[in-house]
Amino acid sequence: MAITYDAVRTATADLYAWSLRTVPDDAVAALRASLDTETVESARKVLRFMLTASERARTDDKYLCTDAGVPSYDVRIGTAARIDGDIKQAIVDGFAQLCATAEPPILKFVTNPLTNQRSFAGKDMPLVTWDVVSGADYVEMICSPKALGTGRWASIETFVSPSLETIERHVMDCVLKAGSQPCPPVVVGIGIGGTFDIAAKLASKATLRPFGTPNPEPILAEMERRLLVAINSTGFGPMGTGGDTTALGVHIDYASGHGYTPVAVCFNCWINRRTRARLYNSGVIERCE
Amino acid sequence: MSPTMSEAGRDADLDLPRLTVPLSRADARNLALGDVVRLDGEAIVTIGMPTHQRIMAQIAEEKPLPFDLTGAAFFHLSVCSRETPAGGAEPLYVNPTTSTRFNPYLPTLIRRFGLSATAGKGGLDMECARAMQEVGCVYFSMMGGASPLLSEGVTAIVETAWDDLIMQFRLTRVRLSGFGPLTVAIDAHGRSLYEDLARDAKAKLPEILARLNAERAQAGR
Repeated sequence: MAITYDAVRTATADLYAWSLRTVPDDAVAALRASLDTETVESARKVLRFMLTASERARTDDKYLCTDAGVPSYDVRIGTAARIDGDIKQAIVDGFAQLCATAEPPILKFVTNPLTNQRSFAGKDMPLVTWDVVSGADYVEMICSPKALGTGRWASIETFVSPSLETIERHVMDCVLKAGSQPCPPVVVGIGIGGTFDIAAKLASKATLRPFGTPNPEPILAEMERRLLVAINSTGFGPMGTGGDTTALGVHIDYASGHGYTPVAVCFNCWINRRTRARLYNSGVIERCE
Repeated sequence: MSPTMSEAGRDADLDLPRLTVPLSRADARNLALGDVVRLDGEAIVTIGMPTHQRIMAQIAEEKPLPFDLTGAAFFHLSVCSRETPAGGAEPLYVNPTTSTRFNPYLPTLIRRFGLSATAGKGGLDMECARAMQEVGCVYFSMMGGASPLLSEGVTAIVETAWDDLIMQFRLTRVRLSGFGPLTVAIDAHGRSLYEDLARDAKAKLPEILARLNAERAQAGR
């Protein structure tokens, strides 16, 4: 058996379709937990509306948002995976299949940045990052369609040998700039070090980490806890209309680099769209999120 | 009802005061920041930048719009619809977009047409809030990601214009029935939750940074 073109094409379409209807379980749990700490009554009400909306999306099979996002996939190929067919093309074809068959239909969000024309197709669509997992006998695919509400607030700034204080102050500046706008409560992804592109990738991937899984590096685990409290002291609150719950999590990752240290900061909105599946050599497809 | 539903307050929270749009000036001026309501009536919606630019061009050239915006409820709401055999369209699902990117256009639209309500998510700036105060107009915060709730309140597509644009950019008149929940986030008296929250957050920042420094020092970092 092997991981086939057909399996990858189908998974590409299915993961996207699921992501449009699903707030991940850990995000629902985090929203529910935030009701224990939220002290502003109007914010508690907004949080309860969010829980109701996520529940109805699930039970009534509804999309959570009209913005179907820019199609983004992370693909992690196990070194022991057996691949039969052009899985790169399978992802292109799988997205095309989704656009043609999604029910209800999705709106056009793929945008040519040179003309601002929107359609269902475009250069380098879907956006895919490829990675390799040592020893694994599967291909793991994560679909996280990124919408405008949070996508527009991602930024990167390069410092020279910054202190932790400098990094944390920069993160707070980014949070204040986004303010009420990124559909809070958000997850804040932060990538420190590496190079320009690596830092951005670290930040983006950090947003995909489930809530409640701190970075194993103690310095970062502490920073994640510290910044979460700090961000939730700003008062923007759910939907940016006031409250204690501006972020559900702060997820940080790092890579060694040079003394010039890029710090990338990005956000994901409360619906936190991400779905994940593993396609095994045996033909089994396991939906993980 | 399952415990989950009960916990989410499915029924009690969604039992909200209802208003009819377009709002009367009195209704608009009676709304207070933080009020949570549902709407009935009609609104004109779009999320298109080209749509706003086209409206501005029509105004500049003293040309009429495809439908009159005078006194209207004008919302930054995205609508996905499907054509019906009868030649109309039925709404499938809706959700708001971030309003702030339309800040440059809204003061003109609000004053020119005397809009009675605007809506979206993320707010509008104080230039818009001042225009809203002048004419007696509010801004409702719609919940991003709450499409399953908001979509139930859009019962019909009355008409669309500028159909050469993609669906969510078209100027679309929708019929609302119990549309919500919506939070009054900018009132008709020049008060804005967004302005207040941004100002408060900025004022709190030195204290927040000092606490970060203290915690870091305590951890020996």
